[in-house]
Formats: sequence, structure tokens, C-alpha cells
Amino acid sequence: MEYIILITGLALILMGLYGIMYIKNIFRIVIAFALFDTGINIVMVTIGYLRNGMAPILDKMPTEGTTPAIVDPVPQALVLTSIVIGLGVSALMLTYVLKLYEDKKSLDINSFKDLKW
Amino acid sequence: MVAPIYIIAIALGLAFTMGLFGKQLKNIAGVLFIAGLGSLTFISGQWLWNFMVNSAATEIIYTAGFKPPFAIVLQMGFEEAVLTTMINVAGLLGALYLFPLLDKKGNNAMMVYLIFIMSTNVAVMTSDIFNLFVFTEVESIALAGLILLTGQSKAFQAGMKYLIVSGISSGLLLLGIIFAYQFSGSLTIIDMINANLWAVKASSIAAFLLIVAFIIEMKPFPANGWGIDVYTAAHPGIGAMVSAAGASASLYVFYKVMPLVNGNDWYYFIALIGAITFVGSNLVATRQENPNRLLGYSSIGQVGFLMMILGLQDVLGERTLIISFSILISHYAAKAGLFWISGILNAENIKDWSALRKNPILLFLFGAFLFALIGFPPFPSFFGKWELIMTLSQTGNYSWIVVILVASFIEGIYLFRWLGYAIKLDHAQLPAFKTPWYQLIPIMSMGLILFGMSAYLTHVFNFGPAINYIPLLFVLAIFAIDFLPAYIKNTVSIAGIAYYTYYLWPSLENDLLRQIFIGIFLGGAILTLVAGYAKKGTRAGFYPMALMMFAGLVGLIEAKSMLQFFFNWELMTAGSYFLIIRGKRSMPHAYSYILFSIAGAYAILMGFGLAYGSQLNGNLDALSQISLLPALAYSLLAVGFMTKTASLGLHIWLPGAHGEAESDVSPMVSAILLKAGVFGLILLFLSIGVDNPNATTLLYVLGWVGALTTLIGNMGAVFQEDAKRLLAYSSIGQLGYILFAFTFMTHMGWLAGFTYTINHFMFKAILFLVIGGIVVKLGTHNMYEMGGMIKKMPFSFIAVLISIIVIGGIPPLSGFAGKWLFYNAVIEKGWYFQGAIIFFAGIVAFLYLFKLIYSVFLGQLKDNHRNVKEISAWILIPSYILIIGIMIFSAFPQYILQPISDMIAPHFQSETITWTGSLATTSLGYWDATTIMIVVGTAFMLLLGWLIWLSAKAQKVEQFNIVFAAERPFRPETTHVSYNIYAGYQKALGWIVAPGITNFWNTMSTNLLEFAGWTRRIYSGSIQNYTLHVILFIVVFYLISIGGL
Repeated sequence: MEYIILITGLALILMGLYGIMYIKNIFRIVIAFALFDTGINIVMVTIGYLRNGMAPILDKMPTEGTTPAIVDPVPQALVLTSIVIGLGVSALMLTYVLKLYEDKKSLDINSFKDLKW
Repeated sequence: MVAPIYIIAIALGLAFTMGLFGKQLKNIAGVLFIAGLGSLTFISGQWLWNFMVNSAATEIIYTAGFKPPFAIVLQMGFEEAVLTTMINVAGLLGALYLFPLLDKKGNNAMMVYLIFIMSTNVAVMTSDIFNLFVFTEVESIALAGLILLTGQSKAFQAGMKYLIVSGISSGLLLLGIIFAYQFSGSLTIIDMINANLWAVKASSIAAFLLIVAFIIEMKPFPANGWGIDVYTAAHPGIGAMVSAAGASASLYVFYKVMPLVNGNDWYYFIALIGAITFVGSNLVATRQENPNRLLGYSSIGQVGFLMMILGLQDVLGERTLIISFSILISHYAAKAGLFWISGILNAENIKDWSALRKNPILLFLFGAFLFALIGFPPFPSFFGKWELIMTLSQTGNYSWIVVILVASFIEGIYLFRWLGYAIKLDHAQLPAFKTPWYQLIPIMSMGLILFGMSAYLTHVFNFGPAINYIPLLFVLAIFAIDFLPAYIKNTVSIAGIAYYTYYLWPSLENDLLRQIFIGIFLGGAILTLVAGYAKKGTRAGFYPMALMMFAGLVGLIEAKSMLQFFFNWELMTAGSYFLIIRGKRSMPHAYSYILFSIAGAYAILMGFGLAYGSQLNGNLDALSQISLLPALAYSLLAVGFMTKTASLGLHIWLPGAHGEAESDVSPMVSAILLKAGVFGLILLFLSIGVDNPNATTLLYVLGWVGALTTLIGNMGAVFQEDAKRLLAYSSIGQLGYILFAFTFMTHMGWLAGFTYTINHFMFKAILFLVIGGIVVKLGTHNMYEMGGMIKKMPFSFIAVLISIIVIGGIPPLSGFAGKWLFYNAVIEKGWYFQGAIIFFAGIVAFLYLFKLIYSVFLGQLKDNHRNVKEISAWILIPSYILIIGIMIFSAFPQYILQPISDMIAPHFQSETITWTGSLATTSLGYWDATTIMIVVGTAFMLLLGWLIWLSAKAQKVEQFNIVFAAERPFRPETTHVSYNIYAGYQKALGWIVAPGITNFWNTMSTNLLEFAGWTRRIYSGSIQNYTLHVILFIVVFYLISIGGL
């Protein structure tokens, strides 16, 4: 199961990268970037997952001599932070898209090549 | 002590509070903003103080009292204190600079600015990799907000590119973090390092992802289009922050995480990426005309340089940090200052920077910042580069040295073009600009930091003994009184130099070589300065620069170590550059002068490096024992010195530079400055010694170069119409004789070389002084527009006549001594073929000498010159002093030549000349200067008397008696007999001086620029291409580092 999720995550990353590089509409590029970001988050969660592990919430002390199969909480905490940051970045990108559209009345990425060389 | 956590607390607290302020509280927000940044500066500054003065221990802070991974670990050690202080000082000054703009945009802008500075601070301090990720992201977001400040279309595009690419790189970072955490079980950087992730194939991918993400952040060439656009489009005030604060922080972060891949060849790859970035960015910058984009390329290039230094840390050892710091601090101060100046000028093209001339303070700082970037003394980067190159050479890393020097040279190409535009470019109307105090203060503060750090690092590197403080302080003193009239500064300068000569002289006892050159350098300085009394006004900037050149020259004489020599060599180069560029049309010539000079200086630097590496001894005598690539080292040194003596192939800068210089600068740079190259060559040849198997070919080749230089120089002079250029070409020819003579490595050859050196100093000073004075008086350089000056300027005529008798080598004057010794030497050495060329060149010299004296003094007086008077006495006085010198040297050469003979005798096996009074005898014959003087003098007087007696009966030919006049007045100049007087010779022999070498260098520079133009096409402006570059960069780096490609 976790392999399917891992592969899904990696596929999303690649799809996102493909989208960033080949789609011409900047609005969709931002969506592609969000896909890329989501893919990374999925990979992170998967890597931190322990098969058949419990959620890292302990309601009683574990019995002496046994180690309960608990999922590592750190990656999950990281993913939360990463989602928040991703949200911020996506929002800022959309603001940029808005500004760019207001400026040139176009969403085509090729109309924004004023800076070169 | 205020805990470093308050840096975060204050900045975040303020930023959130300011978000709550309405428009009513705007003023309070502004005050809080500046006060907040001030307190950040204070906190980091007091930590720095504490580390430096009290040598405190590194402080580690666990937030909220937990241990990692549940808490964030911040570290405040010495390095962090340095970096955060740098960031906060730049942040505070930058805020002052941007204040009106931020204020206009409202609280939100200030808030974002605070967040940017805060996140940069945390990135430096944090020891936790995830925390690092978070604050790098916050920094990117804040920066993307700041880019919007200008509200221009280009800024939107740049910000979008920046967001996308930095988003991708932080995605990779995140993946790397999670993998690395999986393998190391910790989020602190140090634990990850200890887990040796790189060592195992599976976990090496984690290390790879982390490292590559940080490399991308530093904008490696060519995957950096997205970064350059930010510099181009953002407000220069923001550019300054990115370049000074942001880049310093990313470098330090990179330095922290580098040990993650501390194994195999990873560091080597990092150094390679840095080197490619350093060369590539500078190359592309050569075609850039937009100042901000140019600064962007230069910033990225400098970061690449530093990345390379960090990559070489295994080689550099404990010197790594101090070397990188000296380069970083120069970059930091210079880039911030330059971006800020750019913001004041607000020009789209570097050509418009000529407006900077209106504000001498800014122009001065601009020059200082550029020289700091290139690495001229006394700036920290000079010492950093010196130390770097010596260490690399010692460890045998020659190819890295070549990379550094080539990239630095390319950097010089565009920086000096820019400086030239600012100082000299003709502009119909200089664009107006305002310099408000709140923008001037930050720039001046950066200037102060730069000079302060120069002094401090000189102390840290213990380079103090290399610097001759007295002359430098004198230069500063003259600089301080620059507002006074020229004659006062002239008097002070002459008195200062005279005193210093008096002070220095006893220390040179028993060192005739240095006595001769101090005579040429300082005696020449005094004489040429006397001519300066003829100039009116304040001559702003002239005296500090002239004295800087002379201070450098004196330093060469006093130098005991290679560092001292090189320091002063660069000082002299900088001073002379500013002197040369003062001429009206000198911009392109000063540019080619400085490019040849820095290329030569780098050749010398590498030669010194090889010598140092061989001997681990920094003294000049290490040159005699070079064991590492000796033939290459000697050749590099020779080429370096020959850029100053303008030998064939390296001579093309000279005619313009000397010909277009001001009338009293020409003698300084010709009669005096060229001798610095000669002095260098003499030191080099003395170190090489006779029969050194590593230099036999070199000396033979140099002999040919000298002979051909003489021919080309003299031929070039023949076809000149411009009087000063004629003299300039003549200098090339004379320096060719000198080079040729010294390559003999025989007693006679060296004696001839010294005679030529002394003669050239005297007659070229006279000629440039007098002809320069005449050119100013007549308002033209063209000889065909002159004529008949013999009656108007009899003293000038006699001075020129005597000088050309010396050049021509006609008895009884000292030129003959030179020739006599010279042909003796040629015959003894057996270099007949080269000797024949020299002999032929000597005949050619008569052609231009005749042309000079005939066109200017004889021939027909021009209508517009009928009221011309003799040139200023201030020019004639030094000339006649030199004439007295020539007369004494001619009549009694033994008083100088015999001691020289004694001095050089120990260096060469056989004694080949014996002196009996004024009678010199060699195996080939004898020569008695005093007798010749008496005989020729008597014959001359008799003939003169006879002529005068005859002329009593002669018929006076009036000027318009065209039967006798050989030219027709009131006709276009082309009908003047002197115009193109040697057309026939030109037809026959002109091919020799066809501008082949100039064409060669032109083709070289065109090709370089073409290549740069072709390379920069990768910056197509498309976000998607830039993304592709980044992905390709990652793939290639992966294949090389892990894939084992």
C-alpha cells in the first residue's frame, strides 16, 4: 500500500515539473507547482510511515519490555509546516499571476520575456 | 548580553504589530521599523564584540527548553556573530536608503523588509536543517514581496521566475531533508553530518538532494537566469540586500551544510561548479550595459568564486575562512555600495554613469568599490587573493590559479570599461540626479567599512610590514588638501618627495642598482612636477594619483618580499591609470593600458606563486631558486614586466596612452613609469643568473622580441603625424634596445642596457616636456600644422636638438656611449642577425628624428602662430637641468658607468671592459668620452663660427619666397612637405608596421565578446527554459557526483 502512495507522490512531482516546464498558461503553471508540492508532501508522509504502526498518540504507558509500533511523528509535523509554507508560496504566486495578467492582459508565459541576456 | 533569540522575537513581534497599525500610526511604524533594525544590529554587534574582545564561548540556544528534534537549535558563535552583524548592518543602512520608498508603500512594505532581514539572520544561526528550510522559504517569500516594490512590469516577471525556481529547489531540499532524517534519525545538521550519508549509495541521494538545493540557491552558472532577473528588475536598494546580505547568508549556510558530502570528490565538484560560475558569469557580463544586471552577474560571479574557495577547503586548510572572509567582505561592501549608487543614478545604461562626475564623493567611492572587487591593494580582496594564490601554488594546484586569474581578468574587462565611462565618457549633457543625505550616508558607510576592514585585515594577515606607510600617508595628506590651488600642492609634493629621497638614500648605500632607479623615479618625479607649476587651477585629483604612482615606484625599490613588490606594483598601476585617463581623449587608451597591466600583474602573481611554492619563502630572493615549472615561472614574470615596458606584442596600449596624456603626465609615464618594467626585468634577470638552463630559450626569444620591438617602434614613429605619438613610438623602440641589451646576460650588454636606461630617462623627459608644452601652446598635435618655431622658441629648439642627438647616438653625447657599448656587446655575444636589425632600426630612427625637429622648428611659420611665445619657463627649467645631466654623463660617463661596471662584474664571468679615467678599453677597441667631447665640441664651435661668419653675406629668404620654401602656405595641410613625408618608405617598408598586432588583439577581444554574446543567449527570458536549466543542472551534477560519469 505505501508503495502505491510513494509512487503516486513521485508521479505527482514529475507531473508537476512537466507542467511547470511545458504548459503555456501561467495560471496552470501555478497549479502544476501545487501538484509538485503535494507530491513532495505525500512522499514525506510515506517515508515517515511505519507499516501497521499506530498514530503517535499514547493514552497509557507502554508495557515494560515491549516497543509499541508507533509512526514517527516528526515527518508528520514537518509535512504540516511544509503544507502551510506551500500555501503561502502558492498564494503569492497567484498574486503574481494577477499582477502579470493586469500588466499584459495575457496569461501566456511567452509574453513575459522582457528580461533577457 | 541580549540573547540572540531576541533577533527573531523583536523582528517577528514588530512585523506582526505593524500589520495591526492603521494609516494613522504610520509615523510610529517608521520609527519602530528603524529602531527594530537598529536593535538587531546592536544584538549581533555586541555578540561580535564579545567574541572578539572577551573571546566568549559559542552560545547554543534550545528554543522553549526542549532538546532537538522537538526544539529548534540556534547557535551563536564567532562566525555567526560576524555574519549576522554583516546582515544587520546592511539591513539597517539599506532601510535608511529605502526609507522614503518603504514609507510610501506603507507598513506592509516595512513588515516584509523586517521579515527578510530576520529570516536571513535565522538561516545563519540555525543548526536545524528543517528550520533552515523554513527560514529559507520565508526569505524567498519576503524577497518576492520586496521585488514588487518598484511596481514595474519587469519586476513582476522577475519575481515570478524567482518564485518558481526557488520553489522547485526548496521542494528538492524538503525531499532531501526527509530522506536524510530517515537515515540519520535527526534533524540537526551536525547529526546528519555524523551519519556520513554520502558514504552509502542509498543515503547518498539524501546528501545529494540537500547539497544540490543549496547550490541552486547560490545561482550556479548557467542555471541562474532566474536569479539575474531579480537583480535586474528589483529596486537597486533590494538588489543591494540580495547581493550583500542574502548572498553572504547563503554562502555561510552552504559552508555549514557542506560537510554532509565530505568525502570522495564532492568538494572537487563543488569547487568546479564555483569556478564555472566565476568564469561564466564574468564572461557574460562583458556584454552587459544595464548597470543592475551587470552587478547581478558580477555578484553571482563572486559567489561562484567563494563557492570555489569553499570547495578547495581541503587544500587551503585553516586559511579557508580568512581567505573567504576577505573576499566576501570586499564583495559585501562594494556590491551594496554599487547597487545603492545605481539607485541614485537610476540609469538604464552604464554609459550614463558619466553623470557621476558631478559628485566627486560618489565617483571616488565608485572607483574604490570597483578596485575592491578586482582585488587591488589596499582592499581586503587583494590580501585574500594573494594568500589564496600562494597557498594554491604551494600545494601544486596551478590550474585553479589559472581559473582565478582568468576570471578576475574578465571581471576587469567590464569593470574598467565602466569606470572609464564614468570618469571620461563624452556626454552632450550629463543627466541630472539628486543625492539625498539618507542615500549618501549608507554608501559612505559602506566605503568606511571597506577601508576599515582593509586596515583590520592587513593587521590580521600580518601584511603590515609589506606596506610602505609613510608615502601612503603622504598621499592621503595630499588628498585631504586637494581643494587647494595646484601650485601649493605642487610645492608640498616636491618637498615631500625631496625629503623622502633624502630619508631613503642612506638605506640604499652600497646598492647602486637601487640608487640608479631611485634617481630615475624620485629625481624624475621632482623634475616633472616642477613642470606642473605651469598649470593653473586646482587640478583636482592629479596630485594624489601622481603621488600614489610614485609611492608605488618607491615601494618597488624598497621591496624585500614578493608581496611588498606586488603590492607596490598594483599601487603604481592604479595611480598611473588615473593619471593617464586624465587626458582629453584618453578613455580608450587608459582602458587598454589597465587591461594589459592587470593581465601582466596576474602573470607576475602566478610567477611569484611558483617561486613561493618552490621555496616557501616570501622574499624576493626566492626568485632565484624556482624549482616548480621554472621555465614557465620565468616566462610569466618576463611577460608581466614586459607589459609595462611595452615590448612587441604587448605594446599597443602605449602610443595612445602616452600620446594623449596631459603634457606633464606624458614624461611621467614615459620617462619614469616604463622604467618600473625595466627594474622588474633587471631583478628577474639577476635572479635567473647566467647560464640558467631553464631560461636559455626564454632569454634568446626575449632578445629577438627586443630587437623586433626596436624596429617596429622606430618604424611606427616614422609614419606618425602626431608629435606626441611619434615620441611614444620612439619610447617603444628605445625600450626594445633596453630589453635586447639586458637579455645578453653579459657584462657589456648590461652596461649598454644601463646606459640606454639612463639616457632614455633624460632625453624622453626633455622631449615629452618640451613637445608637450609646444602642443599645448599651439593647440594641435599634428606636426604639419606646426613649423618655424625655431625663432619663437629657441630654448625649446636647443633642448629638442640635444635630445635627438642623444637618441641618434651621435658623438659626442651620451647616446654614442650607449651605441658603442651596444655594438661591442653584440659582436662579443655573436647575435649578428639581431644586431643587424637593431642597426637598421637605428638608421630608421634618424628619419623620425629629422621629421620631428624639421616639422616643428624649421619650415614655415603658420599664420595662426605668429604671436606664439616661448613655452613656460617651468617646463624649460627641468628640461635644462636634464640637459646639464646629459652633458655631464656625456663628458664623464666613467663616474657612472665604472661603478655600474663594478656592480655587475660579479654576476658575469669575464671582465670585458677596463677603465682608465675616461678611457674605456674592450677587446674590440677603446673609447674616450672626454676626448671625444673636446674634439667634437671644438669642431662644432669652429664650424658654427664659420657658418656665422658666412651668413653675414647670405641673402635672407623671406617666408613667402616660395622658390626656397619647399611648401606652399595657405593650402590644405596635405600639400605640406612634412605631411606623409616618408610616403616612399611607407610604400616599401610600411608592411612591417601594418597594424597586425593591434588587429590581433582586436580580433581576440571581438571574439571574446562574440563568445560572451553567444553564451548569454541561454538567458532567453523564458521561465520554462530557466526551469529546464535547473533540472538539467541537477541531472548532470547527479550523473557526475553519484552516477560516476
